[in-house]
Amino acid sequence: MGDQMPNAIKSLLFATILCVVCSVLLTAASTGLQSFQQKNAEVDRQKNILLAFGIISEGESVNADRIQEMYRNYVKSLVVDDSGRILPEENRGPNDLQLYAYMKNDELQAYVVPIDSKGLWGKIHGYLAIENDGATIRGFTVYKHQETPGLGGEIESRWFRKNFEGKKIVNQNGEFVSIKIAKGSAEDQIAPEKRINYVDGISGATMTGKFLTEGMKEILKEYEPVAVQFRQKNKRYLRTD
Amino acid sequence: MPKLSKSPTYKAIAEALWQSNPISKQILGICSALAVTVQLKTALVMGLALTFVVAFSNLVISLLRRQIPRNIRIIVEVAVIATLVILADEFLKAFMYDVSKQLSVFVGLIITNCIVMGRAETFAMGNPPWRSFVDGLANGIGYASILVGVAFFRELLGSGKLFGFQIVPESFYAAGYHDMGLMLLAPGAFIMIGLFVWLEHTLLKDK
Repeated sequence: MGDQMPNAIKSLLFATILCVVCSVLLTAASTGLQSFQQKNAEVDRQKNILLAFGIISEGESVNADRIQEMYRNYVKSLVVDDSGRILPEENRGPNDLQLYAYMKNDELQAYVVPIDSKGLWGKIHGYLAIENDGATIRGFTVYKHQETPGLGGEIESRWFRKNFEGKKIVNQNGEFVSIKIAKGSAEDQIAPEKRINYVDGISGATMTGKFLTEGMKEILKEYEPVAVQFRQKNKRYLRTD
Repeated sequence: MPKLSKSPTYKAIAEALWQSNPISKQILGICSALAVTVQLKTALVMGLALTFVVAFSNLVISLLRRQIPRNIRIIVEVAVIATLVILADEFLKAFMYDVSKQLSVFVGLIITNCIVMGRAETFAMGNPPWRSFVDGLANGIGYASILVGVAFFRELLGSGKLFGFQIVPESFYAAGYHDMGLMLLAPGAFIMIGLFVWLEHTLLKDK
């Protein structure tokens, strides 16, 4: 009993010193590298917006400077209020909505809605690009998520995202229905006239699909006043100065 | 040089690279070997990250081996390994962002890779720092070599590319050649690793 005490103290002391050394190392690395990591994350975000618009294509390797340059040239950040009115950026209130517009020859080609949806394990962050008809999906990207790699994580895979291209957020009568993820193949599960609003699901990731479907519906509903303006071909929207 | 091949350092290297290669002989670290070998690039980066972690965890633990209290040695090993893994992860996020996104959780999972713990516990706790460091390097390279081998065949057969560059010419596809989709899935990795294990065992037996 007597010689066990010093042993326990020695262990405690060793563990304490080890923890302090490790913490200092990790804190130093984390703070030292933070600016690099933040820049990478920002470029990645811009790249995903360009990708959703189809300005750069999938698998194309573009360096960071070029991405930032293209982003400056083509992408315009817009803020609208909940009735769809475009606001000056500095007047942005907490309930106003963020949009990104793809401008080419002074005309708005398409716009991106930021998707911040609930997922099975955490938030799913991505961008949904919609054509200037306010109805057709141009592209979809996911840049951050915590879904299971190989299952729900497939939402970032090319085949799943490509699914969205050309689908509509409105039904045949032009009413808003959002875009939904089928359980399995949309062709097998969904009636032909509704397929335009469905994309193929990921097998083994039903819950991720369910959460993303719900999240997208919620977000697109919020942005519906904007989409309506596009559907009515509002000039102020197509030519923002 | 008979002397060189008898030195303990040489033996440690030969063991790790060949006679008891962590993947193909000891069947360790299979989880990550399945997950990151769809492409050569991710396999190579994963191999390098693991080599870095094993080498330095071996070095640190070997340096501390007389001080580490026996009763908490596993915790100490894990703490050292975890610190190194997080460092590697932070560096990848800062300088190789795309690759780190593709590797996602698997860099973090190096902490639980049996190779790292195994070398720390069985080798570094009982050997001098330099030899432990070399043993770590050799084990990492042994692991990386199989990963790169598996990824080479998976990427070539599965997507017709190597390091992302198209290798199989367009004319092949036009003539009716198809990429082997199986190679991109986990079963393809199992089959490839199985073949490597078979190859190593056959070659070792012939000796």
